[in-house]
Amino acid sequence: MNAKAIDQETLLQNERDPLTHTPVHLLSLEGVGKHYGNIIALSDVTMAVDNGRVTCVLGDNGAGKSTLIKIIAGLHQHDEGVLNIMGEDRKFGSPRDALDAGIATVYQDLAVVPLMPIWRNFFLGSELTKGFGPFKYMDVEQMKAITLKELAEMGIDLRDVEQPIGQLSGGERQCVAIARAVYFGAKVLILDEPTAALGVKQSGVVLRYILQARDRGLGVIFITHNPHHAFPVGDRFLLLKRGKSIGYYDKKDITLDELTAQMAGGAELAELAHELEQLGGHGDVVKEVKAEVTDVADSVKAGTPKHA
Amino acid sequence: MASTARMKIALIAHAPAGDTFWDTVRKGAEEAAAKDNVELLYTSDPEAGRQAQLIEQAVDQKVDGIAVTLATPDALKDALKKATDAGIPIVSFNAGEAASAQLGAFTHFGSNEQLAGEAVGSKLAEGGYKHPVCVIQAQGHVGLEARCAGVKAKVPGTEILYVNGADMTSVESTATAKLQASKDADVIIGLGAPITLTLLKSVTTAGSSAKVASFDLNKELAQKVVDGSVLFTVDQQPWLQGYGAVDALWQNKRGGFKVGGGQSVLTGPAIVDQSNAAEVLKFAEQGIR
Amino acid sequence: MTITHKTFTKAAIDERVAQRSPLQKLLGRPEVGALVGAIVLFIFFAAVSPTFTQPNALATVLYGSSTIGIMAVGVSLLMIGGEFDLSTGVAVISSALTASMFSWYFSTNVWVGVILALLVSLAIGFINGWILMKTKLPSFIVTLATFLMLTGLNLGLTRLIGGSVSSPSISNMDGFDTARGVFASSVNIAGIDVKITVFIWIALVAVATWVLMRTRVGNWIFAVGGDENAARAVGVPVKATKIGLFMGVGFCGWILGMHNLFAFDTVQSGEGVGNEFLYIIAAVIGGCLLTGGYGSAVGGAIGAFIFGMANKGIVYAQWNPDWFKFFLGLMLLLATIVNLIVKRRAELK
Repeated sequence: MNAKAIDQETLLQNERDPLTHTPVHLLSLEGVGKHYGNIIALSDVTMAVDNGRVTCVLGDNGAGKSTLIKIIAGLHQHDEGVLNIMGEDRKFGSPRDALDAGIATVYQDLAVVPLMPIWRNFFLGSELTKGFGPFKYMDVEQMKAITLKELAEMGIDLRDVEQPIGQLSGGERQCVAIARAVYFGAKVLILDEPTAALGVKQSGVVLRYILQARDRGLGVIFITHNPHHAFPVGDRFLLLKRGKSIGYYDKKDITLDELTAQMAGGAELAELAHELEQLGGHGDVVKEVKAEVTDVADSVKAGTPKHA
Repeated sequence: MASTARMKIALIAHAPAGDTFWDTVRKGAEEAAAKDNVELLYTSDPEAGRQAQLIEQAVDQKVDGIAVTLATPDALKDALKKATDAGIPIVSFNAGEAASAQLGAFTHFGSNEQLAGEAVGSKLAEGGYKHPVCVIQAQGHVGLEARCAGVKAKVPGTEILYVNGADMTSVESTATAKLQASKDADVIIGLGAPITLTLLKSVTTAGSSAKVASFDLNKELAQKVVDGSVLFTVDQQPWLQGYGAVDALWQNKRGGFKVGGGQSVLTGPAIVDQSNAAEVLKFAEQGIR
Repeated sequence: MTITHKTFTKAAIDERVAQRSPLQKLLGRPEVGALVGAIVLFIFFAAVSPTFTQPNALATVLYGSSTIGIMAVGVSLLMIGGEFDLSTGVAVISSALTASMFSWYFSTNVWVGVILALLVSLAIGFINGWILMKTKLPSFIVTLATFLMLTGLNLGLTRLIGGSVSSPSISNMDGFDTARGVFASSVNIAGIDVKITVFIWIALVAVATWVLMRTRVGNWIFAVGGDENAARAVGVPVKATKIGLFMGVGFCGWILGMHNLFAFDTVQSGEGVGNEFLYIIAAVIGGCLLTGGYGSAVGGAIGAFIFGMANKGIVYAQWNPDWFKFFLGLMLLLATIVNLIVKRRAELK
């Protein structure tokens, strides 16, 4: 843990709420925790999201990433700490609350309803209507036109928005979901492992859309377990492990190698190598793990002087 | 009420729940029970296996008599063996006349379905009807098939139509279809009172000139016979079956009497037509005909 | 490491999309399999039975179809919404019994009973949906329980109140004639009496189709059935939508229940058992996926029409009905397989 943790003061210096002129984040968490019964899923997590910045949340499976987004997206409520939106303390009762506060979430596997046409998915939950009272009906033509236009702006050129979204590739589906969030005026966009199930090329496509969303001024929270995906696009990095924050860095303070090393957990790898050695055999495997340990140790060492 | 000691009689039918016919049987049994100082345990299950279990339960409860319908004699054989082994007197009623004695019942109260069918057939033949449609509301039901077979025995031109008795709208539309398809049908026969009442609508809808005849009875049907919109109906007098079965068990306890002299006691067929319908209607309104 | 953020176009994806001809679009509709089946069946019965195509006979077939079809509308929507309801068959009778027993017992105008029955039917739907959403149990279990409870209540309360197993006749009570006019009359079209249920059925299908295709609620119905979690995540009121669907089924049950009551004056308390499957069969034959998210109201209507044609066609053709159930089962199996293929194509392509 040699990399310097972010100093909240320095981070805040350029972020000001236009109305109050007080330093305020678009969204911030302070000491947030959550437990299910006596299982602590998340404890003491602090992070901030600002306009035009990508905040990456990194962690292995079970690190508490999904608990974190569920709290921000309104699916669960936190038990400890403060969730602050534009300087206001909030606790969301439902996903609808979070959406109304401008927080849109794109989930890795349930971003869309596969059997429904693209345009229906695009407007799901926020359909455009015409008419009055019980005779209110959807403005289908306009919804189709907007879907087509918004997707084109994101770089997806479709001629038929009537086809089931399930027929699109995984990356394209993510992009539809991102475009949808951008269109509906999301201020904060949460992306839950958008690249986890994708190939290299598709992942690249999604990463580009993340940057497009950022350039449109959104605050992006990018959840991933892959530092190679996080580092190129991220501005800040929050590392989670077993429900706890093990580091929170600004991009200028950390390198990809350091990030990878922190993620991989150098100490644990060394332990694994030791165990394998004791069990005997598996010479090749032990050698591999040992090499990995050395790599990690090197990179951590290399990073040290920079921040000392 | 009889001054004899209180006794317990189990009446175990194969009746589906919510059937008017069995309601009348039950009323007869209850009246006999009240008169004879009998505690009546009325149970029923249309599924043979579960009916057998009900018999075993009655044996476990050490009842003083069992009245049972034998719609599926083979399935009930073992359970009734337990009852006879326990020395419990048995009377069968409604269904299973042929197997009655063999399964240990000392008598049977019921109407012979084939005979009832033949009675209807004869009456139709007398009236000069050639092409009856006999409507069966439960496909594969032995008793109902026997009724239509009885009709067919007397009027060879009889056709059978199957309908879903659990859905009156389906009964109506299917019968309408049949009447539209068979223009020469001159009479349509319902095998249960509610079915017959629905068939009346089908005849109107189809614009058919066919007359309507029926088996069984309830007060609406009796009224229709009085009105003349239904030719006649054949009553197997279900009230008498329930009453007779319980009463015979009481008599057996009272003095070792055996009604029927080893034969079955016929409760029908009793034909209800315009000549006697008004009188029957009075009783039908009380729910005993 | 830097990334240039220029927009880029993807041309590859359009190739297959652009080729979708109108015919292919039609073939992608959920009810197309059922429609082909219906046409084949119609031609078939028309060929074997001359009576079948006479206007009178068609009116009868339509009537038989409508009594299944009215319920199939609600059941189809519910199935698209990802749930199904086993209590529908007896709930129809519950509704009819409520109306007749209430107005008979309290000697009110039958319309009072009719309104009360509507409330009871909607309440049954609400309870089904509410328990489902509260417990998160499968709808199979919840509605199986309500099915059994309603069966018991129908029998028990009818005996308790009316002292018999069928409801007393209400044909001479106030309001009966107007109620019969609404729920169980016939309309004369060019000399042919067509039952009013046929028109109610068509109207319901039209409304349901409009709701499904052109309103927000319709969008939500597809979404809760297709992927409940995704729908919840984008802010669709999943609970309200599902409860609403069950209440919609209740509403259809009320209409059919009132038809039963006013067409036959009395109602047998044991009726209706088993019909729930006919409604589900109609919806499934009509292309609704049992797992939800796909289907149409028109499909359910075509399914009901197929059922009505097969059921009555066998009578017109003067065939042995022993085989009817076999063919019904076969048809169901084929329809389900077609649906499965459609779904796989939609998901995997």
